[in-house]
Amino acid sequence: MTVITHNRRRSRLSTLIDQPGGVSAGVALAQAKANLAEMEGRSRAVIEEQVAALALLQPAASLEETARVLDQAYNHSSAVIDAAGPFELKDLCAAAANLCDLIDAAPEDKPFDWRIVTVHAQALRLLLTLPADAAEARTQVLASLKDVLKAKVPGIAGQSD
Amino acid sequence: MRGMNGVGESLRESAVFNFAGAVTMVIDDSPFALELTAQAVLGFGIKVRHACSSAAEAIAVLRDHPVDLILVDCEMPGMSGYEFVRWLRRSGLEPNAFAPVIMTAAHVRRSKVSEARDCGANFLITKPFSASVLLERIVWVARDARPFLEVGDYFGPDRRFRSEPWEGLERRSEEIRKAEFEAQRRASIEL
Repeated sequence: MTVITHNRRRSRLSTLIDQPGGVSAGVALAQAKANLAEMEGRSRAVIEEQVAALALLQPAASLEETARVLDQAYNHSSAVIDAAGPFELKDLCAAAANLCDLIDAAPEDKPFDWRIVTVHAQALRLLLTLPADAAEARTQVLASLKDVLKAKVPGIAGQSD
Repeated sequence: MRGMNGVGESLRESAVFNFAGAVTMVIDDSPFALELTAQAVLGFGIKVRHACSSAAEAIAVLRDHPVDLILVDCEMPGMSGYEFVRWLRRSGLEPNAFAPVIMTAAHVRRSKVSEARDCGANFLITKPFSASVLLERIVWVARDARPFLEVGDYFGPDRRFRSEPWEGLERRSEEIRKAEFEAQRRASIEL
């Protein structure tokens, strides 16, 4: 197979980075965290909206409709990860990612077990309401979701641990 | 800046960099996710010049404006992030076709793993990620010295990260040219 190599031209970004001035990594990260902290309240509201929308989804009536409804559930789960990600809400991200994995692995030619979506919506609601120090309860919720993944998609659960 | 030569190396707190003036584009169909990214990079001294809610909107901008850094979401309705990067690399737009691209994803579908590898992006970050991971990757792509390759359907940075010594015959034209130059230089000294 032919390989054409374009010798790397220095990008403008690589020139800018070394210009005088700028900020240290420590200051940059402190500024970024301060900026993000101002959005934490809105982040929680977005997560709650997405979880509510997930819980409201109804199972598809036909195989043809299944892909569309599952895409919606996948998008709600992804949006939870988007909003929770920068705020160290790792349990919410893990629960949402678990559902994404299950939807992604679902065979297209078979009906989807809708209890999976229901259980994840309930788990996400529970994680949102549990007190911050309820570490053991959070661990149990995530472990039970992981069990669903192990049962439905053998071999994948270990990869995402 | 030192100490940031390889993937996975963390930044020292005292490391100084300057991204002021970098023309940056963020593409995300979720307004909230776009704002999160913009606020994080603003902390690094990067003001987002072009905030686009779709690949189509970004393409219209890229045709007329040079951009120094692109952050793009993988999953978007219409043209996906993967398709967008593939278009960008083959666009022939100078210098944008060679712009550093960081892709972000909440989740990568198994069917998209090869697309993520083959579309031509410099880096893919999966969420959740912290501000420090984002900063490390931006600094890393700024330092990314890999040449661009065209191999079959692929156009993008060399996907080989490791540079282990090769015992066989050298076939890379750049290395052959270097070796020839070095041989001529030595010969001229001996004269």
